[in-house]
Amino acid sequence: MKQVKLFALVTLASVCFTSAAAQNINWRSLQPGQKHIINLNAALDNSTSIGIGYGYHFNSKMPLVLSAQYSMPFGNNVFDDFKTKLGAQLNVLELQNVLVTLHAYGIIRRYENSLASMFNFGSEFATTVGYYKKTWWIAGDFGFDKAIVTNIKHSEIMKEYNPGIQSGWYIPTGGNFIYGLQGGYSFSKSDVSLKISSTMAQDFNTKPMVPYYAQVGWNWRF
Amino acid sequence: MKQFMILCAIAPVAMAMLGCSKGELDPKKPGNLVPKTAELDASIPQIAVNGTLLHAETFGNPTDPMVVFLHGGPGSDYRNGLNAKDLANHEYFVVFYDQRGSGLSKRHPKNSFDLDVMLEDLRSVINHYRNSPSQKVYLLGHSWGAMLTAAYINKYPDAVNGAVLAEPGGLNKAAFDEYSKKSRKLKLFDEVTNDVLYPDQFLTGNENDHAILDYKLALASQYTFAPGNAEGVEGPSPFWRNGAAMLKKLMEIAEKDGFDFTTNLHRFTTKVLFLYSENNTTYGETFARKEAAYFPNAQVSKVAGTGHEMFYFKWDNVKSWVLPYLDSLR
Repeated sequence: MKQVKLFALVTLASVCFTSAAAQNINWRSLQPGQKHIINLNAALDNSTSIGIGYGYHFNSKMPLVLSAQYSMPFGNNVFDDFKTKLGAQLNVLELQNVLVTLHAYGIIRRYENSLASMFNFGSEFATTVGYYKKTWWIAGDFGFDKAIVTNIKHSEIMKEYNPGIQSGWYIPTGGNFIYGLQGGYSFSKSDVSLKISSTMAQDFNTKPMVPYYAQVGWNWRF
Repeated sequence: MKQFMILCAIAPVAMAMLGCSKGELDPKKPGNLVPKTAELDASIPQIAVNGTLLHAETFGNPTDPMVVFLHGGPGSDYRNGLNAKDLANHEYFVVFYDQRGSGLSKRHPKNSFDLDVMLEDLRSVINHYRNSPSQKVYLLGHSWGAMLTAAYINKYPDAVNGAVLAEPGGLNKAAFDEYSKKSRKLKLFDEVTNDVLYPDQFLTGNENDHAILDYKLALASQYTFAPGNAEGVEGPSPFWRNGAAMLKKLMEIAEKDGFDFTTNLHRFTTKVLFLYSENNTTYGETFARKEAAYFPNAQVSKVAGTGHEMFYFKWDNVKSWVLPYLDSLR
């Protein structure tokens, strides 16, 4: 029955959860003099999580924001699970109010429970196409989050149960497509945003336990 | 700047290549993350029945009355029920097997599982080990295994001579939903919940990537014995492999088609023993009696001082009910 209970939990979670976790930027409200963007967010991203980010705005010919982000799931153990992203988003095309943005991030993430810990290097590539006005925007996203290689370390209890189990670097380990919508409202030096996406494993068929992604975020530009 | 973006993207790859310079492992390769199964390892004790290979062991004199242990799940294995082999010391022939797609039994594609094949497997196991038509057969089912016990009696009311059902999680869809609702307490901001969900971004596999899916299910099993769990499970208990494909398919069937293992139980007039555990707050005597009432003749007994995994953590307390019951039917 414990398996049934677990399955029930996952099923319920997939119904409840909607959630990808880049800074959502209104390029139209971002002023040339605003170099820094601080971001706070809460997300459903394979967990309920909170995150913080920093972006540096280069006012180049193609507007570019370099960013660093950190997020972690809720729970008693604060630092056992986390995800960090380091990368950039580049506004590559502008047709009046329609903007096309490319995102590229390197990802480092970690997971631990009493049975195993996992440390992963990954990457995320995404494209955002949207309609941007100075006080609001709406856009569609499509991205791919690739878990390139994962170091799995098994606990003593797992090794006791399965002496042949192998700890070490596993490759390849996975990937998920993320596609959805984002929108937001800009005022003064702030942007508030909502992003809702669906996720699907790299085989274009299998859904993760929580096949959605949702994020509410707040940017402070200065 | 484009160069910077490229750098951002390839940095993890470079770090990964450095990180795994000692040699990489394939998560899909049998044996790396979960044990090899019967079709891949001839040293595993196994029987060939009903078109599959089942990991199976027996204890005791083969001519003694047979007790077939049915493990929980669906998808778990008999490893944490092995205390029941103690019945062999009391002149019972005890048979354990990992159900199709579970434990060390052969893997099968997800869509090949259904209840009928599970019941036919059980019938084949009994026939495989039974020495004569006069040899008595008792079923000893735990959790999902107790549900399977009821399903078997419902289909073959004259096929067994007694049965023990330890906390079956609902003998029909309504009871299953009732029990699931009581035990399904999703805490969105809880460490345990997030520990179940977070690995999906590290490991992905399609529906027949058994090793990956089974491993993820094993990681998620921490949920079942987390401190404060409603089923009163004291801690981890040993397992070989959780069969994710089998679990998912049977749950899909249950949700889509429903099930009712009670329609024919009135024909089984032999006394059955219903067990519930003292510390499983989502089960309890009321639910146990409600379930037991589908049988014309049932004894309902509480196993003291333990929770749902009573066979592993408090076998002596389980035995104190099971052995007198079986002896009464000899």
